[in-house]
Amino acid sequence: MRRREFTLLMAPSLLVMVGLLVVPLVRTIQWSFQKVQYGTPGEFIGLKNYSQALSDPRFGRAVLFTLLLTVVVTVAILVLGYLVATGMNGLGKLRPVVLGAMLVAYVLPNVVGAVSFSWLVDENFGGVVNYVIHALTGADVLWFTETWPNRILLIAHTVWHLLPFSMLMILAGLQGVPAELREAAKIDGATAWTTHRYVIIPTIRGVLGFVCLITIMDVLRTFDSLIPLSPQADAIGNESIMLYVFDVAFRNGSQQLGLGSAINVLSILLILACLFPFIRGLLKEAKAKA
Amino acid sequence: MIADTAKASTLPPRTSVKKPRRRRRNRGSRTAAVLLLLTSVLMLAPFIWTALSVTKPTDVAFANPPVLSGYTPTLQAFRDLWETTYFAQYLTNTLVVAVMSTVVALVIGIPAAYALSRSPGYVSAILLLLALVFRSLPRFSVVLPMYEISKALGIYDTTFALAAALVAINQPFTIWLLRNFFAEIPKELDEAAMIDGCTRVGMLYRVMIPLMRPGILTAGIFVFLFAFQEYLTALVLTDTSSKTVPVFITTQLGQTLPMLQQAGAAAMLLTLPVIAISFIAQKYLVAGLSEGSVKG
Repeated sequence: MRRREFTLLMAPSLLVMVGLLVVPLVRTIQWSFQKVQYGTPGEFIGLKNYSQALSDPRFGRAVLFTLLLTVVVTVAILVLGYLVATGMNGLGKLRPVVLGAMLVAYVLPNVVGAVSFSWLVDENFGGVVNYVIHALTGADVLWFTETWPNRILLIAHTVWHLLPFSMLMILAGLQGVPAELREAAKIDGATAWTTHRYVIIPTIRGVLGFVCLITIMDVLRTFDSLIPLSPQADAIGNESIMLYVFDVAFRNGSQQLGLGSAINVLSILLILACLFPFIRGLLKEAKAKA
Repeated sequence: MIADTAKASTLPPRTSVKKPRRRRRNRGSRTAAVLLLLTSVLMLAPFIWTALSVTKPTDVAFANPPVLSGYTPTLQAFRDLWETTYFAQYLTNTLVVAVMSTVVALVIGIPAAYALSRSPGYVSAILLLLALVFRSLPRFSVVLPMYEISKALGIYDTTFALAAALVAINQPFTIWLLRNFFAEIPKELDEAAMIDGCTRVGMLYRVMIPLMRPGILTAGIFVFLFAFQEYLTALVLTDTSSKTVPVFITTQLGQTLPMLQQAGAAAMLLTLPVIAISFIAQKYLVAGLSEGSVKG
């Protein structure tokens, strides 16, 4: 393909992405060094926003909580996703039905799913889960106002939302495992456990890594679900980094745009650090192909 | 084929071994099927509960312990939603934004994806990298500046601004997904068409796009869903006149009980088409998820 043709075909998309992604991103980096409000030119203050963010205990809490959520959800998603996908792989005619039912949680707007999810445990909405727990144990769980019950709720919701994706990816991986490999393992006398452990899981390692990566990325920027599921997030220590940015830089006319931008830049660095192994792999691959 | 015949010739008397194994397998897969059906009911539980709650009369809908029978189902919450709120407008906004961004994303994304699919291998690795990095970016780092820019341009709180923002945010993924579909069409076809006198662009529209129909449909469904799902961007870039349904639903929370029930009705109205999509367009969802991510 000639160079001119290539440029012509790429131009519209490039223009949109530079104008609406790169320019705003540069703006955020600029703002992070400024004391600034919407619509006014900022004043350069060096690294003050960064030192303010890093010394704010609320930022530390948000980072720790977000990392906790990420780790727990990622592990749960991989284990549950693998189990469900293995079951699905052996499923015949029922597969489209089960798949369809599961995909709903993934395809629906996350915030709407979270609202529906919250009603299962909301006393004001009949709270069927509370009712069952009370009937079984006599305990009343404060899902929205106590730290750990609220964390369990948030973890459950995030797993619920992301499980379909992980299951689907792993299922696609499982379908690529050659039948000969399973048969060979069986002939060699492998039990179900050893077959999974030493044959199937190593074969689909790539897919598992990818699911891991996407889950980490998605959970690190958790925001939507906290609005309905954790209305007092800050007070009970369950605030995510994104919610913290929202509070500082936008909600209720709050205008600490410089501070919010500094936190954004810091979280970009955090995300890049988490993605680093994967990025390195891709760059290596690119070099090999070039 | 070779593997098949080889297997057949090396496994002579199969019947005697096969029977018990199949029976055991059947029992195992039946248990698995029951467990999976239970899992899918669990996955749908929030919606089932919401559906029950919004069709109860308001006085029992919020009763604790929950009332499970002995009431007459009613659609009053839906009627109220339609009559006392601007739901119709919010729904229109959501659909307008989703359709606009889908059309624009495809019109500008198809040529780019095609160009990338015909360039050397390392370009695609870099593209995947960019798509991933932009996907993982904290939304606020682009959306807050967009807020300021849209105010400066006087397009804040318009469906246009929101659609433009969503096109940009999702474009790396859209291009990546489309590229993978284009990559499956052999290059020889381009050359044949161009020898027959097509220009590159003419060939793209006359030959490639008809061939790409499933791929384009898949990408279109995903862009549409992304726009339809978006909460954060809509929260920041809209106010009253172009508010979308997800934002509306959250503003109803913490208000009066009837308003809560209307929010539930709105959530139900949003869920039903999505359920339909995940059954009817399942093939495309599955294709999009696997093409869009695993293959490189």
